[in-house]
Amino acid sequence: MTLRQRALARPLVTATDAPVLLADDVVRRAQQGDVDAFERLYRVHAPAVHALARRMLGDEGAAREMVQDVFVRAWERLGSFRGESAFGTWLHRVGVNLILNQLRVTKRDVARFIDDGADGTTPIPAFATSSGVEERIDLDAAIARLPAGARIVFVLHDIEGYAHDEIAQMLGLAPGTIRAQLWRARRQLMRHLDA
Amino acid sequence: MTDSPTRTDAHLTEEERHGLADGSLSPDRRAGVQSHATVCGDCADDVARIHALMTRLAQHPDTPPAELDALWPAIRSRIERSKVVSLGAPNVHHARPWAKPAAAVAAVAAVVILAFTLGRESRGHGDDVVVTPVTGATPTVSVADSSRAYQEEVAALLEDLELRRSMMRPATAASVDRDLRIIDGAIRELTDALARDPSNPALRQLLAASYRQKRDLLKQVNDAS
Repeated sequence: MTLRQRALARPLVTATDAPVLLADDVVRRAQQGDVDAFERLYRVHAPAVHALARRMLGDEGAAREMVQDVFVRAWERLGSFRGESAFGTWLHRVGVNLILNQLRVTKRDVARFIDDGADGTTPIPAFATSSGVEERIDLDAAIARLPAGARIVFVLHDIEGYAHDEIAQMLGLAPGTIRAQLWRARRQLMRHLDA
Repeated sequence: MTDSPTRTDAHLTEEERHGLADGSLSPDRRAGVQSHATVCGDCADDVARIHALMTRLAQHPDTPPAELDALWPAIRSRIERSKVVSLGAPNVHHARPWAKPAAAVAAVAAVVILAFTLGRESRGHGDDVVVTPVTGATPTVSVADSSRAYQEEVAALLEDLELRRSMMRPATAASVDRDLRIIDGAIRELTDALARDPSNPALRQLLAASYRQKRDLLKQVNDAS
């Protein structure tokens, strides 16, 4: 199960929540303008959104700003959520689109997207270390060292669970290019982690 | 590269190794690739390393929620700011699901009541009316301009609604018409109030909000039908 699948399967309420509210009820209340309900959605989904942003952007500060942007955008667009998919799925897609917009990974930027830092010498970012979760930091730091193009494809495919074709459509690239970037990312990541 | 299911001679390609590890290899190629991996230690080890990486990723934890608590106040503040009706930002709105028409009607009723209240207060106390100001970054847009833009969009949406009306249930169509009448009534009242007090910024904001509410209702109906 990918992290995205795990995030989407995450229950909306915890044992400490009283009264227990169904996910649909919370979403509906948020759509009606209830900010407190939206806060509940934030507390459930923020970790996954933050992880997505941190891994795709490769920078903790930028990731925290992106979390804010994603939830503000989600609030603005709540009216367009029709419940055809899980709220987490919809929110995730809002996040991916916003991050890709920030990275300006569009058809216009294909050349830069593919040709970026192929030598894998991107400096290790200064991730916050307050959590003490060394595994998370080690792996995230290694992911952050990947060249941007390979990192984005790797995160979307291997962590978030998108298919090659979906990523190709998002980025306006050929599926073969996506696969090549993915293999490159895995190889570099294995080297970083083995080092 | 060969797709033969009996291949055992050449090492697996990069595509085959990754495809075997992540399961993306097509079924018709998988058997041949696996047959090679069973007799080639180098390829099998490499596939196992890739698979191990993916397993490690799958067990990778998200950020602990407590670390993100500090971000919520700023998000809430931005959301509350965005609730201020802004003539210059017609796309920033909170569309309500059309399945809740009563909420829309109630909101319109509140707009009308508030408009009357503000109208009376502004006539009675002049500058004493407390109005949440439009943010400084928002360009000033006259009500007339704003109304024209919204009216054009609403007119197009009304045409769509008429085209879809034959596919709607009678009860649904009646409900839509009732909600539209209420919103139109609010727009008329606000327009009249603005004619009496053209410098009242609250009335201008409320009128823009009413147009937006009508537009949102029409969009939701058209999207749903």
